[in-house]
Amino acid sequence: MPEQTTVDAIVVGAGPAGSAAATVLARHGYSVILLERGSFPGSKNMYGGVVYPRILDQLHPEWWLEAPIQRWVTRRSTMVLTDTQAVTVDFRSTDWGAPPYNGATAYRPDWDHWLAGKAEADGALLVCSTTATGLLRDGSGRVVGVTTDRPDGDLHARVVIACDGVNSFLAKEAGLYGEVDAANYTLGVKETIALPKDVIDERFAVRGRDGVDIEILGGTSGVNGGGFIYTNLDTLSVGVVLKLPKLGAQKLRPEQIIANLKAHPAIAPLVEGGEIKEYSAHVIPEAGLSMMPTMTADGMLVAGDAAAMCLAAGIWLEGVNFAMASGMYAGEAAAEALEAGDTSAGGLAGYERRLNDTFVLRDHRKLHRAPALVLSDRVQHRYPAMIANTVERMFRVDNPSPKPGLRRILNEERKRAGVRIRDLAKDTLDGLRTFG
Amino acid sequence: MRIAVCWKWVSLDRDHDVDERWAGVSAADEAALEIALLLRDAFDDCDVEVICLGPKDADDVLRSALAVGATSARRIDASAELDGHTVSAALADHLHGADLVVCGDYSIDRGTGSVPVFLAAELGAAQALGLIDVDLASAATMPLRVVRRLDGGRRELLDVSLPAVLSVEGSVARLRRAPLAASLASRSIAIAAVPGPHGRPAEAEVHPYRPRARTLPAPTGGPLTRVREILDIGGDDGHAETVTLDPPAAAGRILDQLREWGY
Ligand SMILES: Cc1cc2nc3c(=O)[nH]c(=O)nc-3n(C[C@H](O)[C@H](O)[C@H](O)COP(=O)(O)OP(=O)(O)OC[C@H]3O[C@@H](n4cnc5c(N)ncnc54)[C@H](O)[C@@H]3O)c2cc1C
Repeated sequence: MPEQTTVDAIVVGAGPAGSAAATVLARHGYSVILLERGSFPGSKNMYGGVVYPRILDQLHPEWWLEAPIQRWVTRRSTMVLTDTQAVTVDFRSTDWGAPPYNGATAYRPDWDHWLAGKAEADGALLVCSTTATGLLRDGSGRVVGVTTDRPDGDLHARVVIACDGVNSFLAKEAGLYGEVDAANYTLGVKETIALPKDVIDERFAVRGRDGVDIEILGGTSGVNGGGFIYTNLDTLSVGVVLKLPKLGAQKLRPEQIIANLKAHPAIAPLVEGGEIKEYSAHVIPEAGLSMMPTMTADGMLVAGDAAAMCLAAGIWLEGVNFAMASGMYAGEAAAEALEAGDTSAGGLAGYERRLNDTFVLRDHRKLHRAPALVLSDRVQHRYPAMIANTVERMFRVDNPSPKPGLRRILNEERKRAGVRIRDLAKDTLDGLRTFG
Repeated sequence: MRIAVCWKWVSLDRDHDVDERWAGVSAADEAALEIALLLRDAFDDCDVEVICLGPKDADDVLRSALAVGATSARRIDASAELDGHTVSAALADHLHGADLVVCGDYSIDRGTGSVPVFLAAELGAAQALGLIDVDLASAATMPLRVVRRLDGGRRELLDVSLPAVLSVEGSVARLRRAPLAASLASRSIAIAAVPGPHGRPAEAEVHPYRPRARTLPAPTGGPLTRVREILDIGGDDGHAETVTLDPPAAAGRILDQLREWGY
């Protein structure tokens, strides 16, 4: 009979949430095993490509001196596309290209590897190529460890933190999730396209390490969702996020939808001549607050995408920062509970308190209507044409006809797009309440 | 009985410091260890030693070998890039007396596969290379029955007597997974290192591309026609060239041309 391996805490998943949790616990002097199924942290992970690491000021001050970033995002654009038109709101700030910075593009195999390395440096034991396959419980049902896919692979701990990403099998096994509804998920697909750095600099009007983040409404071949283009040093991340039930109903392949986006007259000149280096896909927990699980069980916490913490609210697609923050708070609450010798759900309640007191649940609460609003049929299929046609007519010179007033154009284009005043007023109000 | 497994540790990121994400051993090297561990069960009182030439960064893979059950692991402290002769000579110094040496057929940087060949010569052992199967049952009766891939989909069955050097393809076996406790325990094991060769290999001489052999139809005409066909003389494809030279110059010219063609 092999000797039982017991530690203070097991963190499952060395993504941003898991590494943050493990770092905090290790710094408190607890023995932590950070389990990762990939051959190294980040090897199995994908995302669009922009991190907003402000929260790291607390965990790793001056993180920007060593974080493996590609470019600093100094330019953010939001594009609305129809088949033939594009309306872009473009913002740039040189401030974002200097400390303490705002957002950055980074590759996940670099970012996650770096963050897990920090946890290791603080004393966490990273165990890769090892998948947690289930929960170990004692007679009372309390979680006391995990089983893994290794021979003699049971691991015991006083607390388990599930940071195993979207669709968390551990959180489901612990009974923390209710019914799973496919409508709460989107599918993100992405191509990484190589182009020489000077070509990217030229096409996106940036220099040095400055980079661009473009979020796109429309351009998803009629499937509700959105698109994005991010600049890395010598690659572009080009992708779409697609509502699952709509994707299923349209019977379109996601790679075809990216191909259509790349062929759009406003996008093609940005990507042409590039070589596709990688194609990847991943599910996103899109519905935010309304799909979140119970956060604690006896002996267990759940953080990051495993707890549906990703904020997918139209112009914001932020998951990594929410994962790092929730992981950090889970680590703090677990350390507090270990200290007090009570890792029951009650003893771990400090986790939810921290989430409630900080941006993690505050932003989610504030923006809880956003996912449904942004992915609604009107916003997806009617407003892009209404906006683009309005702008087109504003800028069109129809001499000898005199220029029409904006109100008239808007009204006509609203009717042409099939939007009722009542619905427009309701959506405007919803928008103000959500984002205002 | 002593079985040795030779691993080639490679760091693919040559421009930077070693990054463990892009460093390690090949699937073929892992298969070599698995074959050795399986054969160990077939022989009485048998040790499996894993030996690797490389820098200290290679210690991690040796620890993983111990975690899956190798009896011992040793690193010959050496620089990463050495030619096959130097590597095999250094390995042989430590492998005299080994009954069986199992190597991978290729490394992750797709080397030449020549080390097992040189090693067999150094050890005066039999060699069976590029194996796609090792009949474990034959270990009980010996000689060892192995299968080798030949061109054109053919197979060669070999009966190998010891001492021998085998090299195996990655498909031969999948390395078993280390038990969790053994994997954790192996992290604190210090790997024994012995001094080995350092330096860079001499720049390899680059020869022109040597064309593949051509298949010609059976000869129809007399010997002269045949020679013309083989040498491509007399056709109108522009390859032919007529030169008039005295004999020593003609011989030199022919040698130059043959060299250029890669002979
Ligand atoms: C297409 C797409 C675009 C996105 N774009 C952005 C963006 O631009 N910016 C942003 O901030 N966020 C973005 N996100 C969201 C972001 O990727 C996630 O919110 C974030 O990665 C969540 O981090 P996490 O640590 O919770 O989970 P993950 O990053 O999913 O990490 C989970 C880890 O657990 C491991 N694991 C899973 N199961 C097990 C197991 N059983 N045993 C052991 N290990 C296990 C996995 O291998 C992985 O390493 C995007 C997501 C997608 C899909």
